[in-house]
Amino acid sequence: MTTLVMGLKGAYYIFWREIKRFMGQKMRILMSLVQPVIWLVLMGSMMARLTDNPVTAEMIGIDNYLAFMVPGVMMMSSLYTGVFGGISIIWDRRMGFLIKLLSAPIPRYSIALGKIAALVLQTIFQASVIVLLAFMMGITFVTGLPGIMLTLVICGLFAAIMSCISLFLSASIRTPETLFSVINFLTLPLVFSSSALFPTAAMPDWIQVIARFNPISYAVAPVRSLVISGWDWSTLFTGMWLLLLMFLVFFSLVYYRFEKGSLL
Amino acid sequence: MHNNGEMINVNNISVVYPGGIKALDGVSFKVPEQEIFGLLGPNGAGKTTLIMVLTTLLAPTGGKAQVNGLDVVKDKNRVRLNLGYVSQELAIDDELSGMDNLKLQAGLYHMEKAIRKPRIEEVLDLVGLSERAHDRVDTYSGGMRKRLDIACGLIHRPGILFLDEPTLGLDIQTRHEIWHYINRLREEVKMTILLTTHYMDEADSLCRRIAIIDQGSLKAIDTPDNLKKQLGGGLIIFQFDQAAASSTINQALGSLNEKEFVKEITLKNGEYRLLTDNSEEKLPLFFDALDGLKLNLKKVTLKMPSLDDVFLYYTGRQLRDESVSREQIDRVRSSMRRLRKTR
Ligand SMILES: Nc1ncnc2c1ncn2[C@@H]1O[C@H](COP(=O)(O)OP(=O)(O)OP(=O)(O)O)[C@@H](O)[C@H]1O
Ligand SMILES: [Mg+2]
Repeated sequence: MTTLVMGLKGAYYIFWREIKRFMGQKMRILMSLVQPVIWLVLMGSMMARLTDNPVTAEMIGIDNYLAFMVPGVMMMSSLYTGVFGGISIIWDRRMGFLIKLLSAPIPRYSIALGKIAALVLQTIFQASVIVLLAFMMGITFVTGLPGIMLTLVICGLFAAIMSCISLFLSASIRTPETLFSVINFLTLPLVFSSSALFPTAAMPDWIQVIARFNPISYAVAPVRSLVISGWDWSTLFTGMWLLLLMFLVFFSLVYYRFEKGSLL
Repeated sequence: MHNNGEMINVNNISVVYPGGIKALDGVSFKVPEQEIFGLLGPNGAGKTTLIMVLTTLLAPTGGKAQVNGLDVVKDKNRVRLNLGYVSQELAIDDELSGMDNLKLQAGLYHMEKAIRKPRIEEVLDLVGLSERAHDRVDTYSGGMRKRLDIACGLIHRPGILFLDEPTLGLDIQTRHEIWHYINRLREEVKMTILLTTHYMDEADSLCRRIAIIDQGSLKAIDTPDNLKKQLGGGLIIFQFDQAAASSTINQALGSLNEKEFVKEITLKNGEYRLLTDNSEEKLPLFFDALDGLKLNLKKVTLKMPSLDDVFLYYTGRQLRDESVSREQIDRVRSSMRRLRKTR
């Protein structure tokens, strides 16, 4: 058996375990469904009032804020699923389970790979729920089913990047509290300086600059075009390409960290 | 595999933890194939650290170690294919069922699909968890969890199995069943087993050889019988009356120490332990030595050396507190009275 085959098999079983755990956590599944509802219904209807005002409506560039919000909420839920995903390493370490994984005949990167895969699947599940929910609220993708499929891929890719960051941090962080505070420190500014929830046109100039280079913006823009305007190939291409590149960079970091450093 | 019949070959291994604690200090030993080898030592002796080195979890700061002829640092992946490890702390996922924990283990160790199911059933039956197999582990008792953990370590029948205090917290019946199975595995599957334990009876009945480790270095290594023999025949354990003056006590100890039958006298918990080669035969000599001194003995106990004594001798510590029963004291008292009358 080659090391690669061992790695992939190992990753599969780690993935399998994570999914089994997820299925057993009724509350977690429920919350992952409720969260987007709250975002969409509460925030969406509140902000929808904005578009009643012709000035703000023009700034947003669309008369339906809810349609604007859906891609943002999808990306938010992908972000949080991914970025808190690394905590499972911390729990495994505390439970003593990590020892079992580390002494098993699988390369260490497969632990990360399996966890990332499971987080991607959860993200796709959540994103599908949001699509369904949006549909019930009268928002349809102008690009139809192919557009929805591509959206799910983008969400998954984005979650994969975020889980790489989270796993990289959790490899060295030993308590959930520390991880939470580091992650909040990183993500809150990132979210609010992106075009996920507010149109960039409505932001002060200096934040607009940040928003331009914000990875969340790059993930949101293609999805937004898929929902609202149609097949905007240049946005799609730039967004996908950058996300893929980011994933490769962050996964290499995780790979290196898991293979070379101590995880205990 | 070129292991020269040695499953484990530890050569001058040292481990210094980042904080500066020297957990292992030049440990060397070999374990031949199919041996059950016991590692005994007080808390903090370095047993778990040694197992971590052998299971590739911790790189030693000095020395070399091989498992089944493979270097534990250079050949990590292949070493891991050869081993099973039941760690001191529980290592099972309590959000999964017992069955799923075993399936995961079978998968992680690349077991062939066809043998997974029968093997899972076999180990479940062994540890008596067949009926609860589909329940989540967080509904198990502590002992059930440990049993499941052991089942996970056994399922892939590794060439070498590391058991770090495998029977801690289990009831006597389960402990005996586990011993029985460990023995059977060694015979049928030709498995080598390295275990640590704090139960001397476990080490005595299970292990072919024992190593005693204290403060990071090896103090003794041999079969349990040889270790006991080396210690010499037996112990006379005695206590003086509280009223005894210390000068008289010193005088008594001095005169005992001069006698040829006395190998060594140590003080532990207010009891003097006199090492001799046959405690029953030498008891009269013991009383002769004390004759004429104005000293009352509070109690005298005779003991053939047990593995506990071996442990105590090498580490200066006792694994468990032994409480001497009322009966034992009475028995010794009456035998003392008998002895006095006959003289
Ligand atoms: N991660 C660690 N960092 C620093 N020191 C450690 C670490 N793990 C163990 N030690 C120290 O190394 C020494 C040996 O510990 P080890 O766990 O190997 O002992 P042990 O023989 O298994 O003891 P026990 O019977 O209590 O399980 C102890 O002094 C312990 O404090
Ligand atoms: Mg230990």
